[in-house]
Amino acid sequence: MTKKHRENLPISPDDFMHEFMRFKRGSVTRRHFLGVTGLGLATAVMARSPGAFSTAAYAAEDLGTKMSIATWPNYHDPATFENFKAATGVAVEVNVFGSNEEMLAKLQAGATGWSLFVPTNYTISTYHKLGLIDELDLSKLTNFSAATENPRFTKEGQIDGKTYAVPKNWGTTGFAVNTSKLKTPMKTWKDFFEVAQTEADHRAMVHDYQLTTIGSALVALGYGFNSIKPDELAKAEELLIKVKPHLFAINSDYQPGMRATDAWMTMCWTNDGAQLNRDIPAIAYVLGTDGGEIWTDYYAIPKDAPNKAAGYALLNYLMDPQNAVKEHIANGAPTTDSRVISLLPKEIVSNKIVYPDEAALTPLEFGAAVTLTDPGRAELMARFKSA
Amino acid sequence: MHNDIEFRSVTKNYGAVTAVSDVDLQVPKGAFLALLGPSGCGKTTCLRMIGGFEQPTSGTVLISGREMNGIAPYRRPVNMVFQHYALFPHLNVEQNVGYGLKQMRPRIEASEIARKVALALEMVRLGGFAQRRVHELSGGQQQRVALARAIVNKPAVLLLDEPLAALDRKLRTAMQIELQTLQRELGITFVLVTHDQEEALSMADLVCVMNTGSIRQLGTPQEVYDHPTDLFVADFVGKTNRVTATLETDGRTLRLADGSALNVGERRGMTAGDAILAIRPEAIRVDRHAKPGATGFQGTVTNRIFLGSTAEYSVAVPGLGDFLITSDRRNLHESELVEPGQTVFLGFDPTTAHLFPVSSSA
Amino acid sequence: MAVSAENKRRLVTAALVGPAAVWLFTFLVLPFTAVVIFAFGERAPEGGYQPAFTLAQFANLGARSAAFANTLTLAPIGALACLLIAYPVAYYLAIKADQKYRMLLISLIVIPFWTSMLVRTYAWMYLLGARGIPHLFELAGIDDVRLLNTPGAVLLGIVYGYLPLMILPIYVSLEKLDRRLLDASADLGASPVSTFFGVTLPLSLPGVMTGVALVTILLLGEYLIPQLLGGGKVFFIGNALVDLFLQSRNWPFGSAIAVTLVVVVVAVLLVAMRIAWRVSGSRQVDLI
Repeated sequence: MTKKHRENLPISPDDFMHEFMRFKRGSVTRRHFLGVTGLGLATAVMARSPGAFSTAAYAAEDLGTKMSIATWPNYHDPATFENFKAATGVAVEVNVFGSNEEMLAKLQAGATGWSLFVPTNYTISTYHKLGLIDELDLSKLTNFSAATENPRFTKEGQIDGKTYAVPKNWGTTGFAVNTSKLKTPMKTWKDFFEVAQTEADHRAMVHDYQLTTIGSALVALGYGFNSIKPDELAKAEELLIKVKPHLFAINSDYQPGMRATDAWMTMCWTNDGAQLNRDIPAIAYVLGTDGGEIWTDYYAIPKDAPNKAAGYALLNYLMDPQNAVKEHIANGAPTTDSRVISLLPKEIVSNKIVYPDEAALTPLEFGAAVTLTDPGRAELMARFKSA
Repeated sequence: MHNDIEFRSVTKNYGAVTAVSDVDLQVPKGAFLALLGPSGCGKTTCLRMIGGFEQPTSGTVLISGREMNGIAPYRRPVNMVFQHYALFPHLNVEQNVGYGLKQMRPRIEASEIARKVALALEMVRLGGFAQRRVHELSGGQQQRVALARAIVNKPAVLLLDEPLAALDRKLRTAMQIELQTLQRELGITFVLVTHDQEEALSMADLVCVMNTGSIRQLGTPQEVYDHPTDLFVADFVGKTNRVTATLETDGRTLRLADGSALNVGERRGMTAGDAILAIRPEAIRVDRHAKPGATGFQGTVTNRIFLGSTAEYSVAVPGLGDFLITSDRRNLHESELVEPGQTVFLGFDPTTAHLFPVSSSA
Repeated sequence: MAVSAENKRRLVTAALVGPAAVWLFTFLVLPFTAVVIFAFGERAPEGGYQPAFTLAQFANLGARSAAFANTLTLAPIGALACLLIAYPVAYYLAIKADQKYRMLLISLIVIPFWTSMLVRTYAWMYLLGARGIPHLFELAGIDDVRLLNTPGAVLLGIVYGYLPLMILPIYVSLEKLDRRLLDASADLGASPVSTFFGVTLPLSLPGVMTGVALVTILLLGEYLIPQLLGGGKVFFIGNALVDLFLQSRNWPFGSAIAVTLVVVVVAVLLVAMRIAWRVSGSRQVDLI
């Protein structure tokens, strides 16, 4: 009752600022618009004290004093970079992105200044093909343990037997539902698109991201998540355009909308699902029984990285299970390394949003490289958004 | 015959400042009145109260016998020629002149408007200029457009606010004549505001001299010039040589600063005491030698300005100061011109010179 | 060494114009030339640009016709909405407001612009969102009021964001307006309403056209407001460009759209200047 009463209060300035900061954290980091406004370049230089504690391991090579990493929003424990700076004297500048397409666009344009970045599984072959990434020198990654990595999540980092990327963590793409608002039980993407046009009219969100939005529509129609067949894409387009007038938004920045209850349902990634559910238990995370996406984010080093030594040092630092477990606890995405699992608190390992049953994962597909560069899917997305 | 304009105890205050103070004024129909005075004397405020741009704080303004208090400018039967003309820059000459006609209700037909506009332009000799843009015209032409724009509406009264101030001297003289002619042709009342006494005297048939918000004298140009009612009017309307003096108790003997005495004749209304003798520059005759029995002062010419038909002299008179004399060349009886440095006699008729109490100059 | 007057004058000219010229050449002419070259190229298989000479990108402009149509309708509507609200405000400020308070009132209009547009737009997201104004309606018993992510919200954001850009030029032209012209109009028998339409409005048109051109041009490239207040469902050319460069990496097509947009903007500007000249009867039109 008390809580209900509080919810009915008009907006207080405190609430506003709180919400705004939340928006800002989520969104400044999210999706492409920030890149355009300039705020996307908002970077956090994680540095407080000069690195007085250079260890012997790092002292062998000159690491310089700064490097920059391209990654995803809310994806790291800020303490990680502070500790890294304390250990090596290298300050880390963090650039956050909203889509793999955007990362690729920046690397293609050149002169990014990144010494480390976090591409998703299906993009690595393209980076390799375009000669944008280096083969990793595993001798510099003493903390990486191929033996304890789940091969399901490492294979796309290897091309022709050479390692170009090592996994950071994996995850799924499902949908989040506010069960206090929507009563229809939902299990599939078919359900998602039907409820979006009925009970959740003007309350559902889809990603501003061709891979998941088109992929989910394809799955709802019984096709493959990665299809590029023109007839199947045409059907998916038909469905998306039919749904569009009923949508609340086309935006990958869905946490603010869900938290404000503007949106009651959204396409959602594991880590956001876990965070939403932790703060608002009524928000459930559903994996489509008819399909959907499973993914792995990797670490890779750009060919034109200005400070490769520091890039390797940071990557090696992140591969240390003691550091990786802190990252896991901070961002909520499941790990690929069994050494890390053994260090995790029990409530995280038993969280079915983070570590679903194997049966729930079976229908899911990894994104396919071809979707990244297929002009048909890009054009479909543009038609959907401008319809 | 009724008056076209009448002020009844009109006062206008702006906050604590009184711009016009208890003015009574009657302007007969068909008159050409000039409101003359220095800046800040209240003449423009009076004009704007006739136009309706200002409302009197107290008192009443009447136009053609109708009380005008509270009536907006666009409902008054008057038109104004504004200082700097205030022509509409986005309209051409024809549209400017036709502007007032287009506002009339019931509506006037376009062809009728065109005819009247053409006639008005003809009247101000701008026949071929109908399609011109305003900024393509010279100052004098703009002045005429402003005139045409006002008179085309056949107002009962035409108000002119310093209409010639922006023109050069030659053009101004020409326009003075044109305005007079126009006023005679139209037969409507003109009210002209000016600070230029020459302009007021040459054009108007009634001059109203104002200072500090009140009327100092209302009369024909000749009355105002020849018989100023006080020292201010004498000073403002034409040039004046002032001589400070004391009027003795006999009422006719004036004791000057240098100790000499003048018989100024019987002066009604003047009481004995400090007074100022005001002599017009042209009322003084310059002679090389004093005529027997003549009244005047001996002095030395310090400067001479030759003006063709006339000449202006500055003459220093010991004990009395400098005198300005305008001399018609025919008055120079003895030879043509007097040279600076020469001693001359300034002769005048003390009985016709103006005598004012000291306090009347305010 | 003696420097001739002629050379000296040239040096002064170069010193005055030089920096701007270098700046414009480096950051406008060169990039725009690149964009024009790209527009005649092809998309590489993995995205980006691959040299070619083809008109295919321009032939394909129709694929973004919806974005063009959205922009070319919402931009003028937004500019018009701005105008309808801005004009009375500017009129009040320039003609009616007490001189004493004028600067204060103008500051009140400008001060919000010291805050980032993004922050202010987020504030609107909150106000229009479920916990903002719709919640107040809910308290009053009116349920399910939806404001955020509607075309109305986008229009509101546009008007809010661009209002000062409309108010200021109109204010300037009204402030310059010779008050005697208003007296003259009244003197010639025009009622206040006739005076407004016959004198005030036409003479403030340069300011109006400046404001309309400014707001329309900026709206033609608008990206943020439709994205944030339209929920990504309202798709402007700006959004299309961002997607083409940052998502599908079709640089040649993006370049072709950018070039087309520049042509449209120049056309809008020329038309605006032409109208302002014709109506105000002067060539002194200050666009911006």
